[in-house]
Amino acid sequence: MSSVTDRALGPPPVWRRLIGRQETAAFICLVALLVFFSLTADNFFSTRNFTNVLGQASLTLIAGIGCAVVFISGEVDISIGSLLATVALPLIVIMNDTNSLLLGVAGAMAVGLAVGVINGFLSAYLGINSLIVTLGMMFTLRGGVYLYTGQRAIADDAGLDSFIALSDGRLFDVLPYSAVIAIILLGVFVYVLRFRRFGRQIYAVGGNREVARLAGYDVRRVKFTCFVISSLLATCSGIILAARVGSAQHIAGLNFEFQVVAATVLGGVSLSGGIGSLGGMTLGVLILQFLSNGLRGLSLPTEWQLVITGAIIIAAVALDELKRRRAHGD
Amino acid sequence: MHDDPTLFSDGAAPAIDIGVPALELRGIGKRFPGVLALENVDLTLEPGKVHALMGENGAGKSTLIKILAGVYQRDAGTMRIHGRDVAIRSPRDSLRQGIKVVFQEIALINEFSVAENIFLEGHPTDRLGSIDWRKIRTGCAELFERIGFAIDPMARTGSLPVSQQQMVEIARALAHQASIVVMDEPTSSLTPKEVKLLFTIIRRLTALGIAVLYVSHKLDEVFEIADTVTVLRDGRHISTRPIGSHTDDSLIQDMIGRRIVDLFPRQRGAAGSRVALSVRGLSTTHKLSDISFEARAGEVVGFFGLMGAGRTELAKAIVGYDPISAGAITVDGRTLAPHNTAVGVGLGIGLLSEDRKVEGLMGELPMYQNASLASLGRFARHGFVDAGRERQAVQGFVDRFRIKTPSLTQKVKNLSGGNQQKVLIARWLMRGLKVIVVDEPTRGIDVGAKSEIFSLIDELAGAGLAVVMMTSEMPELLGLSDRIVVLAEGRITATMSRQDATQEMILNAAIGAKGRTSHEFRH
Repeated sequence: MSSVTDRALGPPPVWRRLIGRQETAAFICLVALLVFFSLTADNFFSTRNFTNVLGQASLTLIAGIGCAVVFISGEVDISIGSLLATVALPLIVIMNDTNSLLLGVAGAMAVGLAVGVINGFLSAYLGINSLIVTLGMMFTLRGGVYLYTGQRAIADDAGLDSFIALSDGRLFDVLPYSAVIAIILLGVFVYVLRFRRFGRQIYAVGGNREVARLAGYDVRRVKFTCFVISSLLATCSGIILAARVGSAQHIAGLNFEFQVVAATVLGGVSLSGGIGSLGGMTLGVLILQFLSNGLRGLSLPTEWQLVITGAIIIAAVALDELKRRRAHGD
Repeated sequence: MHDDPTLFSDGAAPAIDIGVPALELRGIGKRFPGVLALENVDLTLEPGKVHALMGENGAGKSTLIKILAGVYQRDAGTMRIHGRDVAIRSPRDSLRQGIKVVFQEIALINEFSVAENIFLEGHPTDRLGSIDWRKIRTGCAELFERIGFAIDPMARTGSLPVSQQQMVEIARALAHQASIVVMDEPTSSLTPKEVKLLFTIIRRLTALGIAVLYVSHKLDEVFEIADTVTVLRDGRHISTRPIGSHTDDSLIQDMIGRRIVDLFPRQRGAAGSRVALSVRGLSTTHKLSDISFEARAGEVVGFFGLMGAGRTELAKAIVGYDPISAGAITVDGRTLAPHNTAVGVGLGIGLLSEDRKVEGLMGELPMYQNASLASLGRFARHGFVDAGRERQAVQGFVDRFRIKTPSLTQKVKNLSGGNQQKVLIARWLMRGLKVIVVDEPTRGIDVGAKSEIFSLIDELAGAGLAVVMMTSEMPELLGLSDRIVVLAEGRITATMSRQDATQEMILNAAIGAKGRTSHEFRH
């Protein structure tokens, strides 16, 4: 799916034009970061460090696909952080009972699916503002996990090799499995968004709901499906996170939704719908991840990370807005 | 081959039985709260023919189109397509039945390429269901080449000028496997050259056996392209005749009928002689050119124009809301400069917008605060609004205008359209206006409440205000105005006193008819 092999086919111009916009700026920003930290931070420019960062980024990347899809459809989903903590419960409990990763994952997926269906039904079919729906879902899930676990974590007693491999296993001893999963999912959804009718319907619905309806699209079903996709992808992130911390705990994924939203917006995905790409989202995730990694290498206090990250996000969005205004001639 | 668009298979018309009508509507009815939009309307479209649908604003054309498009559902009547009874409950159903509606408001996705928009109703796919982008691009390019249409298929649609977007919208009808194409005022933003291209496209469609419903109020176009004309008036079917048996006069006659204008009992006396508003040589960059007129105190000047004539643009320009490129506006001898609404209100000119929800009301706020909004300074003491005096003043208007509201604190969004309009009028009167510009004062207002708005406007003029009224409704125009000005394509095409005006004169000036007397069959 690289743009080089598509040369004969030619990427759809929308994509090409979008690349000409915020994604380009994000790419330049990423390269500048890499150059800067390679020159200043110790042990930054190494295969080991880069693959580590990819592994760390995989959680945000996977959930970011869902976040981008929901944004493109013109909605938002901020329940994903709490969902990370929630799906770990059935996962760990079932694995402890049955010693089966497959059953645990199935349990987690069932919970994720249910949450996505509820979010989607309330937002898409009942027409309730999705920010409110998923905000409510965020609190409800977080509270539910608290009630179940109390202050203590529920540890993974089964200790299945396949589960532990999700956290520290590497493909060919190089690439973390979590990064491999993220890359595969990215590939699948890049394909869906560009080459399936459903993918184009997401853009159309987010771009202009009424036009999409007149073109015969089932606007509500498209949006509903986006919420389900978002929850299922966040569930994948939740499973990998549970493998990393080896338990289910109430603080898992706290503020995770804001990291994901920040990266997605940084990558040029518009909150108002219809605009953005997974390539941009990926760049946004990598920028934030390398930034935090590099600043740590410079042994700057973590507080500075927050300040710098915030400033970069505002600058990126402001720049995009300025460009858009100039293009529209005011 | 998959999803091969009709036009690419040259001459291979879709299997259409010429003997059976493409579309048969019988007894179609549609009711909205307070309004009977369509009553017992019949319409028959023949394959390969262009059927024009004409009527004044509010005649029911748009409602009928939206029923065909699946945006509205009919309340009564039957619909048959190629002889089969069908039910259309959604735009998707409509497309499935082979109906393609080209809307006047452009229905394209701005962020998509032109080519993708052409195939929006169904992206061509390969056997695995993957979108075939090459086919989208080449298909679009071939289509454009065939119809002689010079637009880059790869261009971002939103970056094109409106007229080209409209052409894309029209070209889209060709890529879709439609047997019935409906076009709603397709030429409203086209250049003359593009109109020619449009007619070429329509002839191509009919050659393929496609039935075309052409909705327009432009006589020239209808005489050039249509085979048959159906006229609607007040939601009813008036006539269906071959175009050759019509003249300009007979068509206009059908559109306005011989109805007696519901004469509204005028209370006010004659207008004064003081010029309250003077507009000289006003132009805007997009629409208006060289508009000059005066309005005297106590006078109602009615502006009439059809869709796209520039009524709303003029209303907004006069009050300082939209920028002007040339000309001068003076209120009571003082010039409106710099050109903005703050200066306008200061001089005593205000707008009653046609879009109450967006440009007038704050729906969630109580009714009394909506009324007092422009005059808070009057009720202020030491920088704080004295709510007692504020409410007292509003209560005075509630009594005077007979505003029906359970209390002063009722949210204004809960009032009826007529009462909302009264609240807005109260807002301006409280401010002490000299000139009020009203844009479509009775749009979206129940028939019953209309006469109340009429009497309110009459009262405003009676109180010595100059009223400039923009309207597309004949009864309103004739019932209220002292003088009538007709707009067409952003220019004034006629000015007449109420006494001299006839519906025929007004509509002629609005349509720009050239006095055609007879027509031969041309098709």
